[in-house]
Amino acid sequence: MMKDWFLLLRWSWRDLRKYWVKVVAIALVIGIGTGAYAGMTSMTNWRRDSNNASVALLNMYDMRFELAGDSFVPRGDLESAVASIPSSGSVVAAEERLVRSIQVDASTDDATILVPGLIVGRDLAAGGPTINTWHVEAGTGLAAADAGQPLVMLEYSFLMHNDLPSSGEVVVSGGQVLTYTGGATTPEFFMVVPENTTSFAQGTYAGVFASLETAQGLAGLEDVVNDLVVTITDDADRGVITDEIEDAISALGVGVDVTLKEDDPSYRVLFEDVENDAENMTVFAVLIFGGAVLGAFNLITRLSEAQRREIGIAMALGVKPLRIALRPLLVGAQIALLGVVFGVGVGVLIGNMMRDLMISFIPLPIWETDFQWSLFFWVAVIGFVVPFLAAAYPVWRAVRVKPIEAIRTGHLAARGGGLAPLLKRIPLPGNTFAQLPLRNLLRAPRRAVLTTLGIAAVMAVLVGFLGSIDSFVGAINRGGDAIKGDSPDRLVVSLETVLPVDAPGVAAIDNADSVGRTQPILQLGMRAAGDQDLNLLVEILDLDNDLWQPGVVAGTIEDSGTGIILAEAAAEDLGVDVGESLLLTHPRRTGPTTFGFAQSDVTVVAIHNNPLRFAAYMDDAALDLANAVGLANVVYAEPAPGSTPEDVQRELFSLDAVGSVVTASASADDLDELIGQFVGVLQGIAFFVLLLAVLMAFNSASIGFEERQREHATMFAYGVRVRKALRMAIVENTIIGIVATAMGLVAGVGMIWWVVNVSAAETMPDIGLVVEMSPTTLVTVIVLGVAAVAFAPVFTVRRMRRMDLPGTLRVME
Amino acid sequence: MIELHEVSKTFGNGVPIVALADVDLRVDAGEFVVVLGPSGSGKTTLLNMIGALDNPSTGSISVGGVDISEASRRELFDFRRATVSFIFQSFNIFPGLTAAENVQFGADAADREDVDPAEVLDSVGLGDRVDQFPHELSGGEQQRVAIARALATGNPVILADEPTGELDFTTGVQILQLLQQQAADGKAVLVVTHNREISRIADRVVELSSGRIVSDGPPAEGKARLEDLHW
Repeated sequence: MMKDWFLLLRWSWRDLRKYWVKVVAIALVIGIGTGAYAGMTSMTNWRRDSNNASVALLNMYDMRFELAGDSFVPRGDLESAVASIPSSGSVVAAEERLVRSIQVDASTDDATILVPGLIVGRDLAAGGPTINTWHVEAGTGLAAADAGQPLVMLEYSFLMHNDLPSSGEVVVSGGQVLTYTGGATTPEFFMVVPENTTSFAQGTYAGVFASLETAQGLAGLEDVVNDLVVTITDDADRGVITDEIEDAISALGVGVDVTLKEDDPSYRVLFEDVENDAENMTVFAVLIFGGAVLGAFNLITRLSEAQRREIGIAMALGVKPLRIALRPLLVGAQIALLGVVFGVGVGVLIGNMMRDLMISFIPLPIWETDFQWSLFFWVAVIGFVVPFLAAAYPVWRAVRVKPIEAIRTGHLAARGGGLAPLLKRIPLPGNTFAQLPLRNLLRAPRRAVLTTLGIAAVMAVLVGFLGSIDSFVGAINRGGDAIKGDSPDRLVVSLETVLPVDAPGVAAIDNADSVGRTQPILQLGMRAAGDQDLNLLVEILDLDNDLWQPGVVAGTIEDSGTGIILAEAAAEDLGVDVGESLLLTHPRRTGPTTFGFAQSDVTVVAIHNNPLRFAAYMDDAALDLANAVGLANVVYAEPAPGSTPEDVQRELFSLDAVGSVVTASASADDLDELIGQFVGVLQGIAFFVLLLAVLMAFNSASIGFEERQREHATMFAYGVRVRKALRMAIVENTIIGIVATAMGLVAGVGMIWWVVNVSAAETMPDIGLVVEMSPTTLVTVIVLGVAAVAFAPVFTVRRMRRMDLPGTLRVME
Repeated sequence: MIELHEVSKTFGNGVPIVALADVDLRVDAGEFVVVLGPSGSGKTTLLNMIGALDNPSTGSISVGGVDISEASRRELFDFRRATVSFIFQSFNIFPGLTAAENVQFGADAADREDVDPAEVLDSVGLGDRVDQFPHELSGGEQQRVAIARALATGNPVILADEPTGELDFTTGVQILQLLQQQAADGKAVLVVTHNREISRIADRVVELSSGRIVSDGPPAEGKARLEDLHW
């Protein structure tokens, strides 16, 4: 018995050596399929674990209360309000903060870095902050003794993205020089999502962490706060406590916005992004894996079928079917084993690519990126079983026929013509050389379909990847174009506070040397009620101004009165059309610097062309609604002739009234940069996908060449040149390539549709994505898909040239 | 038509195996020549040399006035396309093409546009099997398709390697009749076989043993009729 095993092992080892190129190529197909799946889906587990651990480590708030508009209250009032609520016993901690928009100049000798940001002032006494704590990643942290000093920390990813040292100096609004002692992360900045945008702005939005006293000093506001973060016990009723605190703060005479932890933009994006990516990655990974499985199954089946006659001989000699099956199964096992080894390698490679991207993109204090043994184990099991099944299937078929049928040679063994008879009555153009490729495909329809489906699956993934990127880039570009409009160099100057449009601070902007035309605006956060409630960032401006107006795709902005201009996605989600009205909850000024909330019915007068759902506009006739006639908190400023946007940024930076100055297209530019980071990784995966298609095509061509060796030899015996035979093989593969690419395109567009309308609609609802595919993507996919498959037979040309014609022609089977 | 001068062929790197040794042979147009010999005698090697599927180790081969022993690879392809047509023991017709299309292949390979495949098939008795695929034909019919394919090339030399080896007696005789007819039409027909009975209908019988021609002449008992054959 043992001798039998050694013989079988030796024999299968010889099989392996004989077909080693194909064995390696098939194993690579399995390896890429299993590795891509394992590598891509590993990331989901890593990110979930890392997010939870990081949020817990830095004790993220359960709820946050922001005072509306530019409202402030004396320090201690908010904590007192919390202490006064009936459920105060369920509150673990409450900490007041001062949170203000700020302009930061972090320019170095090599680069100009003038960005908006957010300064967060915290009480450093008694080891604070204890909620949303800071995790120092570089340099040193702040201590209680630093309170009131010009010392801050910068958000770590801002440092990293701008290649700034771990300590140094920055200049903030008003020209004050601050020393930053280090770089830190905090949950609100795990994902840098500036307020009222969807940007991921690691490099272009500066988080400045300071003591409460330092923040107050910078803002020129003594002993006031405008923000409160609260943690509660696990068993507390969050809804009740939220309502009680909201009521208590409202009793102070100020409006308040409440944000629960799950609604925090950073937290939401952080966790939803994991699920969104997991969904996308799973779909892509399953398709890659499925394509590889189809390809491997097809190829191994064909390899095993080549042993049909030897199986028949063994049957004739009375060998038991199980023992007959062992040899091809051993080959299958060897391929499977090699495939699993490759799979682990590819998986680790793809996993590392994803991990490096994530770590550079999200500065979590804890990254738990352990090797996913369980996931890899199950994927390896499937990667092992598939080649086994693929090898077993033809063996099972072979041992079920009579031995004589398996052994039989010549015309008696002639197989049916597959679907070729379908073409009997259809006259095809060209001579037999032109017709043979199609005939050959139809002769073996199962083989052709499996090959085509396998390649189509991987092409679908390629289309899905590239098309999804196109759709995102398309939305960003449309957004950028819409925002730039007729004033592409326009800058958005955020004021430190709401000011009368004729205030000296606003006049100073208008009078700056580098500034040309200006337009004051009141920018307010509002909430619209409809089929679903939406937060909007409404810009109230003179819609007759000569600097910039929103582009309109439906309705009109003339004589819009108190009407509102919505994004198409917003109108859709709210369930309103032009001419219909909706209920708007908006700030209404209650004092010189305090705002409360009021509700008004407004008419939708137009739809604008910006794909960002939260963007909305109203004419300054609507300022009455906010009791804010003649007020502004933003100024559009165009560079004067001869000046650059950077000149404007530098000049306005020194003005006291100015909070930040950014180009109007900054958010689109941020998104563009983000997409650029992802494109690199997606291109890496796309490379594996393309390699998979090429390997499958190569294997198919290689095995096909062996299956048709005698036909080729006959052609050569009749004087047909190698190049003509090669041309026929290329035509045959071209047909497969065209059909597979066409199927891949259709399925790929379906995937893009799913990503845009289902996946992204859930997790990135603020971007109005539409299915787009750039001509470059289309051409790339068609050329790569068709060409890579079509020219795979070129790899067989050497074997064609070196074919032993007499030997091949005399072989019976 | 075919002239071999001192042709030898040796295989192997270590201990050389002599497949052919100093073979001199001449076959004229219109001759039906049977090369006879046991397995390993060198008859298939001889056929492969004449058909330019292989080249001799020494000596020269001239077919249709072309010296193929020194020809380049490209010239050999041209030679095969224009001069010789093969008929194989295992037919080697294309399973994806119908009978007519297989015949058309022969014409296409030889760049002949004036061939009517149905007519050629009719000439081998398959006028009613034009649109059948190989798997729908019997063995004899498949071999006749192979002959029709060879005929469609219009090439002056037909080389047949054990053309009846796969066939029953009756069908084999039909095939031999067709080949005889080709010789009568002026083609040089060279049939390689180990079946001594077939040699009885040849114009000449060339007998090989261990790579050497041991006899060359008409059948020993005179040329027989097809009806007299039996095996």
